[in-house]
Amino acid sequence: MSRVQPTQTDLAPEEAVTLAETVNAAIPKTARFRMPSSHPMEWFAFVFLAVLIVASVFVEFIPGLVRASFPYGDFSQAPQWSLNGLFGTDALGRSILSRVLYGARTTLAIVSVATLISLVIGMVLGMLAGFYRGPVERIVDLYANSMASLPPILVILALISVIGNSVFTMILALGLLDIGTYARIAKGGVIAQNDRDYVLAARAMGASDGRLLVREILPNLVPALTAIVPPLMAGLIITEGSLSFLGYGIPAPAPSWGGMIASSTDLLSRFPLLIFGPIVAIVLTVYSLNTVGDYLARRMSHRGREL
Amino acid sequence: MSDKVSRKTARSAETPALDVFLHDDALLKVRDLSVRYRRGGKTFVAVDGVSFDVAPGETLGLVGESGSGKTTIGRALLKLLPKADTTIGGEVVYDGMDVAALSASGLRAIRSKLQMIFQDPVSSFNPRRKVQDIVGEGLEIQGVGRAERLGRVNRALNDVGMSLQMVEGRRPHQFSGGQCQRIAIARALAVEPELMVCDEPVASLDVSVQAHVINLLQDIRKNRKLALIFISHDLAVVRNVSDKVAVLYMGKIVEIGTGDAIYERPAHPYTRMLLEAVPVPDASHKIVPGPIATQAVSRAMPPSGCRFRLRCPRAQSVCAELEPKLSPMPSGQFAACHFPHDELAPGILAAV
Amino acid sequence: MNLPTNTTPDLAPVQPPILDCRDLSCHFRSPLGPLRVLHNVSFRISRRTTLGIVGESGAGKSMLVKTIMGIAPDGMQISGRILAGGTDVSALNEARRRAFLGRKFGMVFQNPMTSLNPFVRVGRLVEEASRFHLGLGKAQAKALAIELLASVGIPDAAECYSHYPHQFSGGMKQRIMIATALACQPDLLIADEATTALDVTVQKEILDLLQVIQHERQMSMILVTHNLGIVAGRTDEILVLYGGHVVEYGPTETVFSNPRHRYTEALLSAMPRMDQPAHTKLRTIPGRPPDLANPAPGCPFAPRCPAAEVRCHASMPPMTVSADGRHRFACYVPVEAGAATAAADEGRARS
Repeated sequence: MSRVQPTQTDLAPEEAVTLAETVNAAIPKTARFRMPSSHPMEWFAFVFLAVLIVASVFVEFIPGLVRASFPYGDFSQAPQWSLNGLFGTDALGRSILSRVLYGARTTLAIVSVATLISLVIGMVLGMLAGFYRGPVERIVDLYANSMASLPPILVILALISVIGNSVFTMILALGLLDIGTYARIAKGGVIAQNDRDYVLAARAMGASDGRLLVREILPNLVPALTAIVPPLMAGLIITEGSLSFLGYGIPAPAPSWGGMIASSTDLLSRFPLLIFGPIVAIVLTVYSLNTVGDYLARRMSHRGREL
Repeated sequence: MSDKVSRKTARSAETPALDVFLHDDALLKVRDLSVRYRRGGKTFVAVDGVSFDVAPGETLGLVGESGSGKTTIGRALLKLLPKADTTIGGEVVYDGMDVAALSASGLRAIRSKLQMIFQDPVSSFNPRRKVQDIVGEGLEIQGVGRAERLGRVNRALNDVGMSLQMVEGRRPHQFSGGQCQRIAIARALAVEPELMVCDEPVASLDVSVQAHVINLLQDIRKNRKLALIFISHDLAVVRNVSDKVAVLYMGKIVEIGTGDAIYERPAHPYTRMLLEAVPVPDASHKIVPGPIATQAVSRAMPPSGCRFRLRCPRAQSVCAELEPKLSPMPSGQFAACHFPHDELAPGILAAV
Repeated sequence: MNLPTNTTPDLAPVQPPILDCRDLSCHFRSPLGPLRVLHNVSFRISRRTTLGIVGESGAGKSMLVKTIMGIAPDGMQISGRILAGGTDVSALNEARRRAFLGRKFGMVFQNPMTSLNPFVRVGRLVEEASRFHLGLGKAQAKALAIELLASVGIPDAAECYSHYPHQFSGGMKQRIMIATALACQPDLLIADEATTALDVTVQKEILDLLQVIQHERQMSMILVTHNLGIVAGRTDEILVLYGGHVVEYGPTETVFSNPRHRYTEALLSAMPRMDQPAHTKLRTIPGRPPDLANPAPGCPFAPRCPAAEVRCHASMPPMTVSADGRHRFACYVPVEAGAATAAADEGRARS
């Protein structure tokens, strides 16, 4: 087979892509990593989360911070401008800031693991449902819809009655909640891609179903899934907080934000600032996660946009 | 072998004349292909009993408008139709092998021989993958090693006037439409096919880029002895690239023959309507507009008898009762019409 | 372009032209500097004339008509003057300009699938324009809408009045869009690639429809397209755009039979023709469209032009005008006058 003469059209190789790149660059897009310098609130969200994560991981190394279980001061003191007294002390004289940070460690760890479980299982189920349709899709839809209609408290009560109350139970309960959401998003993404030409082209090359799902379809699900992880995590934090508040969370004395609020309710009329710490923590964390989620959603919708 | 022969004679009894057009040594033989979709309880027939042959190195043009089934035929040949709610009937024989009867491994072996190029080159690429991976995908699936793969990818890109160096590290959205289409051709060439289905490959390209891609396809076809099935609604492009042309209307072939026969002496009224509707860059006389009232034609419920009769200026009562079959015409093509045309197409000079 | 604009090329019209564009330029601010989309575009359209604007993607033709209609995207800097029926609309502020132009010009867009609001009944879509611009009452507007729908060939117009867009095919939707554009009895109808998304037989129907309507209502019309075949038999004059510049402008018949600008000639030769035998090698245009961000000095087509000389790269050629004043082209090395392309030869032989 003789070689085809290249059709005499082309500029030198370097020039060929210069045009596309020039016009490409002229239209604003955020494909390259840029700090979210557009908005100070976004800056705040990222910085806050970074600080929170680092602080909760390295709580023991923060100089001057007393242990959470160590009663060091007067009872129920109002917040002061000192490291340990930033959020004041609780009814047992423990530093609320310290407890909040230890609580952050617990909460973040639980929510992260639960999210990971949800994401992986949900994604796999959603991909199978969207790719094969039929009975698989019906089962997954059924699960997602049932989960969406159950109040989280019922789920955890059911689990507690079966396997008792513990960190593992909480992780499992939270993990079950969001599987449906991730599955639905993944399913939608897969269905949208099923008829796309590049999937057909890969089939024409002889790609197996597995290869199609992993190499062609999955990478295009990443944007939507990534963008929704932070807000769902925020939701789990609130759920965990609510469950702890109601007493069904991680058993005391492990610090948890919800538990801290719960134990302060009796004294609220006299010492309203006792709940200041955990509430600030929850609000700022949820806000930051949602803001990061918005940012990711925005960035993801720009990338891959053609000229 | 005797099996095939007996099947052939059985079909010959139904359409004896059509045999002249269908030959045994063709690379691809399609007999009575039909595709039905079930959607919302109703059945839509996208392709209804289509038969044609493609010889090695030959280009068959499939012409039709939306709803004619031409795209569906292309996908059915490569087994790219969705499996759910779709019924495929008829027979597709490639190189002597019945494609429907192949095992999974047999199908994989055939995959590299039959390739496809899509209409929108940009969307036929996964936007998140690099171009060199895209072009090498077929080879990777076949298990070709990385070094050899890069070599073959480079050669395929050279054949379309590009090179590995040009595309290295880049993604599809960094290339223009024409370049993307050439990359798509390179992707198909990399696995060394024998037959390529081109589904409206130049429809989304500018005229100047169209010319490049058409010339490129011609060159490749000649040098590699590729058979092409060229699907398009653009009759001028089809005229340029095809040896044989089949005109499709509502899932059926209404006329099939050599390009010369069809363009010079179109027999079927629909073919004539198509040819007259094509805008020709000739400003020597102003176009006189025809009647403007229109009729809503439902595609789900084709008319009885001849499907074209509601739009046909020649329709008579027999057209509603009896569906016309493909019959031979004086110029050598086959047309399915009770009252076919015989005169030259307007604008064609009579051959001296 | 340094042609004095008060010498009208045609018989001196008693009325001012429906549309008169003078040195229209558009650029768009981008992080890389200004992207010049249009450069000094000048043309005029008189009553009952059809102008074809042709160019490939990126030539600026869509931007040109959007600017004329007043719907150019935000951030587009526009200079030059647009006179509609003698009134200088570029002097008006944006809101008034849109109101004025919406009344005088009607526009039909490319993709009928996405240009009709799917949640609004078809009748209301057609009525909206007449109620807003003409201030018609409900009953009057409805009667007018039904009449318009019938006049564009929709069967059972009275019943279709209350249907939704998705109940119609592509060709019918385009007819509905034409009816919408006609609601205010505009002086000029702009069809921006109106038939690109349609089947070829439907395309012919729609183009025929546009011609008939234009004739009945004595409107002017602009056909914007990349398909030279469409403009060939349906326009009086044709404007060829390349890289945002006008490269050729003149009567359709003259431009087709004797294109002077190298780009026009190349474009005509690059089209496959049905009367050429199969496997004819097509004449191609080397290179690729110009870079909007870094326009080269000189003629935008020079990098791809087989006849380009040094001066073509150095400076933008001025408009040369033919003897009768009607045919203009911007080229230092034009095709010879009187030289006919092969296609025109055959065209003449056929007729």
